[in-house]
Amino acid sequence: MPAIELSNLTRRYGRRRGVVDVSFEVAEGEAFGFLGPNGAGKTTTIRVLMGFLRPSEGQATIFGHDCWREAPLAHRDVAFVGSDPAYLGDMPAAAQLDVLGHLRGLKPGAWRRLAERLELDPTVPIRKLSRGNRQKVAVVQAFMGTERLLVLDEPTTGLDPVMQREFLALMAEARAAGQTVFLSSHNLPEVERCCDRVGIVREGRLVDVASVQALLASHWRAVNLVLGSVPAKDVFDLPNVRVLASNGQMVHLMIQGEVNELLRRLAALDVRDVSIATPDIEDVFLGFYEDQTPGAGPNVAAPAGAVR
Amino acid sequence: MIGTVLRLELRRSRSLAIWLGIIVLAYGAFIAAFYPVIRDNAKLIDDYMAVFPKGMLAAFGMEGTLSNHGIFFNTYIASMLWPIIAAIAGTILGTRQVAADLERGFIELPLATRIDRARYLGTGIAGQVVVLAGLSLAVVVGVLVVGTVVNANFDNARFLMEVPVLFLFACALGGTATLLSVVTLSRSITAGVVAGGLLAMYLLDAVSRLQADLDWLGTISVFRYLRSTSAIDQGVMPLGPMMLFGAMAIVTWALAVWIFRKRDLVA
Repeated sequence: MPAIELSNLTRRYGRRRGVVDVSFEVAEGEAFGFLGPNGAGKTTTIRVLMGFLRPSEGQATIFGHDCWREAPLAHRDVAFVGSDPAYLGDMPAAAQLDVLGHLRGLKPGAWRRLAERLELDPTVPIRKLSRGNRQKVAVVQAFMGTERLLVLDEPTTGLDPVMQREFLALMAEARAAGQTVFLSSHNLPEVERCCDRVGIVREGRLVDVASVQALLASHWRAVNLVLGSVPAKDVFDLPNVRVLASNGQMVHLMIQGEVNELLRRLAALDVRDVSIATPDIEDVFLGFYEDQTPGAGPNVAAPAGAVR
Repeated sequence: MIGTVLRLELRRSRSLAIWLGIIVLAYGAFIAAFYPVIRDNAKLIDDYMAVFPKGMLAAFGMEGTLSNHGIFFNTYIASMLWPIIAAIAGTILGTRQVAADLERGFIELPLATRIDRARYLGTGIAGQVVVLAGLSLAVVVGVLVVGTVVNANFDNARFLMEVPVLFLFACALGGTATLLSVVTLSRSITAGVVAGGLLAMYLLDAVSRLQADLDWLGTISVFRYLRSTSAIDQGVMPLGPMMLFGAMAIVTWALAVWIFRKRDLVA
């Protein structure tokens, strides 16, 4: 049974679209990244998933429980943190974490170990905490239980790099413990590091669901060559290679997918220097929005992060 | 889980209850302190009041001599202070758990747990009942305590009979605010409708007292039923008004819970 299953999910707000015909599954134990720009439909999907909104059409289930009709049952297995959660300003984090923990069936103080680890003072009223410290409360809230599914909406917004790294460590521990993760984020490197698969949503529609590796491999990478001599004209004539610029001994080309044949041909040349830019998920993500064509366009891959 | 939510709601109500409690206690005490002056100068005050049109006095609940305990309580508490306090408390408490928490974003946190919506809102309503009961008691106790000190000779038992009437009136407002909060998901709209509705009912009641042929208008105003003096003057519980306010509270709260169970939550 999948941890999350969305079947032809559509949610409209009157005449405005929210999400349209979205279908995907998240297997138990998997970490699934959910990407999209503001207004694409990520939060609507999560709200339907958490039973805050009724689907206009289709269905969403968590461990087989309908997210709308059986929300309390579905929530037994879920730890949820929304984007920018608004805790009660006058109450300290400790009291609120105890209340929310109790509603999740946790013992009082279940948050204590995590609060210490994240250097969060739980005795301070929430309104006196900085944005980053409030977000720490959210991270503590997400990870203080042992639910089978974590639904996290922009969980690291406002965290400093040290705490972002701690968040990644917590994610790794959750995954090692067998927890499933559904992560909506704008922090694309974070998704790349945490998730097995990603779903990309654009204008309310799911435009691609693929493993992170497959998604990266399907996109264009930039290759910059410095050669000892001018190569033969047809040396780069491969179906998955495009030569963008060639200035005698300096060649700038793009390659998509399989690289072995290109490397075999390069081995026969006098190569003085080579750099291959691995596309990160940000390139892939932007490709979906800039080109409006999934996986298209040699301009997608920037040479940042080149490996030599 | 219910106990946890109830404790949370009562904790959140603490400062509202304390401040409104201080206000009603202080006001009740202040008014009671003046009662002996009114009683000892009843003739003078009645002569002075006779200058004003009867209808206008009736509009403020003064249908008789102010030295009468029932009229005194009705004029200064039931017609003046209590509707304002009940409206403030009822609106703040009634809108907090749904409209206000949705606007501030807190509602997602408890509703993402295993508690179901009906229990969550139902427990919040129980919290409203506790706070409104406390305020209703405080407003009468303030009058009685100082009344005893200044030898006002108030009948404590009869004055305490007013507590359930005031309480149920506040519950009716709390229920209405809760229902509007669930339907509109807006604090400001709910507060506006409750305040505007109360003002309109006050005017309807006043007009009905000023103009005999428009007396029927008063029957659709809650103020007509709130101003009963039977408890203090005759020692008879005003069961009719109590049942009306109680029914309003139960129906509006029940409707609110029923609608909230299947309400989309979009701020």
